Amino acid sequence: MKLVDCIYRIAKRPAALIGLALLCIQIVAVLFGPLMTPYSPVEANPLETLQPPSLQHLLGTDVSGMDILSRIVYATRINLLISIGAVGAAFMVGVPIGLLVGYYRGPVSGLIMRIFDFIQAFPVFVLGLALVSVLGQEIWNVAIVLAILFTPMFARLIRAEVLSLRERPFVNAARCNGATDAVILFRHLLPNALTASSVQISISIGMAILLTAGLSFIGAGVRTPTPEWGLMVSDGAQQMILGVWWDSLFPGLAIVLSVLCFALLGDELKTLFDPSSVRRRR
Amino acid sequence: MTGRLSLPGVSLKSGSGLAMVLAKLRKLWHTLIPRFMRIMISRLIIFVPQLFGVLFVTFFLIRLLPGDPALTLLGNLATPEAIAALRERLGLNQSILNQFVLYAQHVVHGDLGTSILTSNPVTVDLWERAPATFELIFYALICTVVVGLLMAALAVVRPGGFFDRVGQLYGLVAGAIPDFWVALILIFIGFHCLNWAPPPFGRLDTFVSTPPRSTGFLTFDSLFVGDWAAFGSAVSRLILPVATLTIVNAGAVMKMARTVLAANYNSDFAKHKRACGLREGTIVWSALRNSLPPLITQLGFLAGFLLGGAVLVETIFSWNGVGQYAVQAVVRSDYAALQGFVLLASIFILLVYLTVDIVYELADPRIEV
Repeated sequence: MKLVDCIYRIAKRPAALIGLALLCIQIVAVLFGPLMTPYSPVEANPLETLQPPSLQHLLGTDVSGMDILSRIVYATRINLLISIGAVGAAFMVGVPIGLLVGYYRGPVSGLIMRIFDFIQAFPVFVLGLALVSVLGQEIWNVAIVLAILFTPMFARLIRAEVLSLRERPFVNAARCNGATDAVILFRHLLPNALTASSVQISISIGMAILLTAGLSFIGAGVRTPTPEWGLMVSDGAQQMILGVWWDSLFPGLAIVLSVLCFALLGDELKTLFDPSSVRRRR
Repeated sequence: MTGRLSLPGVSLKSGSGLAMVLAKLRKLWHTLIPRFMRIMISRLIIFVPQLFGVLFVTFFLIRLLPGDPALTLLGNLATPEAIAALRERLGLNQSILNQFVLYAQHVVHGDLGTSILTSNPVTVDLWERAPATFELIFYALICTVVVGLLMAALAVVRPGGFFDRVGQLYGLVAGAIPDFWVALILIFIGFHCLNWAPPPFGRLDTFVSTPPRSTGFLTFDSLFVGDWAAFGSAVSRLILPVATLTIVNAGAVMKMARTVLAANYNSDFAKHKRACGLREGTIVWSALRNSLPPLITQLGFLAGFLLGGAVLVETIFSWNGVGQYAVQAVVRSDYAALQGFVLLASIFILLVYLTVDIVYELADPRIEV
């Protein structure tokens, strides 16, 4: 009954449908990418460099003669892996920190919040660039850096909820019943505090995709010939001036659609959890 | 003035001597110093420890490097003697506190080390390149704010109208477009297809000589000496990068401004003004004025985003600013240059936030200072 109701509510909203459709496309690309692509994503073919889109190569070929469509499909894996991995890690680390910092208030909590302030005060891309180059330009380091950048956001969202929840009667009631701090934190506060940060996950994944692509674009992330969207745009950048548009256009379009997908889903989740925001937006 | 100090309520009742002195000082602070000066002083006092914190972070950024910094700086082929000498010169054999003091001393004296890439002192490199970046950010900031506010105002004035719909779509998509991709598409359309944009190589056309530096902003410098050719060239080169940053960032400004503006435009004071027969323009203007404080905060973040975006955009347009310098530093592992860039970026952000805080408190007279 509830599921039907949910489906009905989603079906009425075109934004949710588009977001879900884009998500499905990406899941298919991640799971069955190798089966669908006719060309290898990393094998150069010197005879067919910079072919415009045709029936053989639907989206054309790049400077090394690699099929762009195949590379875009393969790149879905690495882009989503980095982004979802980084945001997942940030969530797993940020949520407990936020819980503890919100519940136990003292000098240590204050210090942690000041450090978070500092991380968030920085322009994300500049800090990401500096950290990646210091840690070493490896694909996993990009994920680690993104996780560091996103942790404060989740911690802050959880902390804000905990700060208001901890004064509520049900927490005192639990304490009177003999609940330990651990029980209060994880059984009573955590489930009630999760909504805002769960919604933020989807939006953060979109941001992470953009940042990963940006870092790869300037050469601070993944290395050639690994198929990665930002790197593919960067490979085609030189050709763009000469009029070879397909080399950069399509990978960039993949980034836009992927980020849009997670942004749309995030927006929809927000309205699903908080129906009052719909009216406010109109 | 002494008469004011012995006002009832301040004297005698305040209890102990120290509390009384504090209360008197507080009173003095509020009566003697005008509000503007109070804002400036209280913000500038916080600024100093913040600067110290920034130094601390840029110092530890390089200390984070895995392994021996001397080895990393010199490369694998360095002789043990050279490494030992550099360790000595960098002070790596001393305690971490001494190292930090040493670094702070160097920075205060304007010594940020030498760039491996250009073999110039990093300070000189940054000094040469910074105006290019700030000119780009300056114009991008203006365009972004104007476009964002304009779209927000048009959408709020007529809900459900053309601009409202376009704005909603744009606000959704703008957050999803990578800036480097927009730049490339603009180059393709403007330079390759339409052939009216200049090639994306640098800030001036090749045959135009650089005007003598006074501000470092080519558009200003060329105007000061009346060099119209250089001015035109600089402006035409600015169009595409500024358009890129505007397209990507105006969406966020518009979304934010629309929410705040709509609340003010539909509020009781706006209705009252309308009932009094004031013109629509006046009402929109007063709604804008009342939306100012949150918008100012947003502008602070925007400046940060623009700095991050400038890093990418400069690389594409061969802008030769500090952003491109940082990218080269990252790719070539030029850590002194990177450290210098991070320091410059942090100070820039600190100054932006300082300005934002001051202007915010000036714009909202209700805030107690």
